[in-house]
Amino acid sequence: MKNKKIYYFIVPLIIIIIWAILSNLKIISPLFLSTPQAVFLEIIRLFSSGEIINDILFTLYRTFIGFLIACIIGIPIGLLMGYYDKIYHSLEFIVEFFRSIPATALFPLFILSFGIGDSSKIALTAWAAGLILIINSMYGVHLGKELRIKSAKTMKISGFNLFKKIIFPEALPQIFSGMRIAISLSLVIVIVTEMFIGTNFGLGHRIINAQLVYRISEMYATILITGILGFLINKGFILVEKKIVHWRGK
Amino acid sequence: MAIEIENLSKEFSQPKNKKKILKVLDNISLKIKDGEFIAFFGPNGCGKTTLLNILSGIDKSTSGTILINKKKPEESKAGFVFQNYNESMLPWRTIEGNISLALEVQGIEGTKKQEIINHLLKKVGLFEHKDKFFYELSGGMKQLTAICRAFAYNPDLLLLDEPFSSLDYSTSRKMGLELLDIWKENKKTTLFISHDVDEAVFLADKVVVLSNRPAKIKGIVEVKLPRPRKLDVLSSKEFFETRNKILRLFEYEK
Repeated sequence: MKNKKIYYFIVPLIIIIIWAILSNLKIISPLFLSTPQAVFLEIIRLFSSGEIINDILFTLYRTFIGFLIACIIGIPIGLLMGYYDKIYHSLEFIVEFFRSIPATALFPLFILSFGIGDSSKIALTAWAAGLILIINSMYGVHLGKELRIKSAKTMKISGFNLFKKIIFPEALPQIFSGMRIAISLSLVIVIVTEMFIGTNFGLGHRIINAQLVYRISEMYATILITGILGFLINKGFILVEKKIVHWRGK
Repeated sequence: MAIEIENLSKEFSQPKNKKKILKVLDNISLKIKDGEFIAFFGPNGCGKTTLLNILSGIDKSTSGTILINKKKPEESKAGFVFQNYNESMLPWRTIEGNISLALEVQGIEGTKKQEIINHLLKKVGLFEHKDKFFYELSGGMKQLTAICRAFAYNPDLLLLDEPFSSLDYSTSRKMGLELLDIWKENKKTTLFISHDVDEAVFLADKVVVLSNRPAKIKGIVEVKLPRPRKLDVLSSKEFFETRNKILRLFEYEK
């Protein structure tokens, strides 16, 4: 067990060492790559001055609200598509089509419709995450075991009871997989929208601003903080997932 | 008569070629008394499962009639135990929760429900495991839970489709004993599909021998072994005689 923990850190450590050598020996110009120690000090400065806290909170707020809206809309649509063949055939093409458009290509459209405030950022996030949730919830129903439904039908379970007692719990592991992908994507979309749709706060905003004025250490520091945030969200979600859909793969 | 099957036939049309018809059940007539334990013995793929599907009301016959306690199959209650317990039971529920499903659908709740569940679980020795999740049990215990669920449903007839064939020899014999034990207390009319002749003789009052597809009844052999049956029955002379009679019938005119 202890040995495995060492393996967990060994590659990141090697990367940091290479980074330190490349930057400290100026093999790569400081205009493009700061030293790890400078980035580390910058992270401490950003937190001790408190100026990054607002950015983190705004980014998290947009990510979670967008994700939440995506869940509220996407999961029921996906379940209905999975359950009713007619709804599936009616919406399949539309969903597949919109899924093929990169969400970022819809930027201008969303700015037109929702303005340049938070609502366009959140709406675009909900859009992208919602499509993923629709697909995964639908597959969750489709991948359910025939025999489980047949077995329920021998007990005359039908209609909403069949859905509530058999189909929905059966789809839950797949819905959670979708939620995990969707929340990571939500963060991606929020960061990108913060870079290109006007705002005063947000990690994406800070990254692009730092780059524009060549505060390279601050840019790297914010990128790292964003990465750690994404990592923690993902790990946290896996923990919740394991608790709720404990039967997955068993 | 609990179950009357008359001239039952079932044909499937091939999905690719609608004109090509696959006959699965051929003119099956059978009368089963209330509380009888009947085993169906026949080759793989002969249509035994189709027969149970029709009896449970999830599939329809092409011709012929079935009456279960004077009702049509879709109006009667069938407790179905499938071979694949992993795909027929609910892994997200506990043992207790799985049995509870059969009671919820009958509108039985509260202490009445709890009593039935506790009684069944104590009977088969699973009471101490009742709060475990379904996937935490061994294969034998899982199938035992499925049997309890079928009894909790309080069915007109009990249908078991090769319930023990994915278990090892000794576990499947043990499960057979457990099944007989609950059945003795609550004599449900039982139809048990098996491709294991020893199992069929050990459990049943009568063994119905089926032919290759389309399945016809080749003969019915009465099992005169006394009840309650214990494992030593398996080495008795009567057991071998009955078993050989079934096998001769099975081999005859192949």
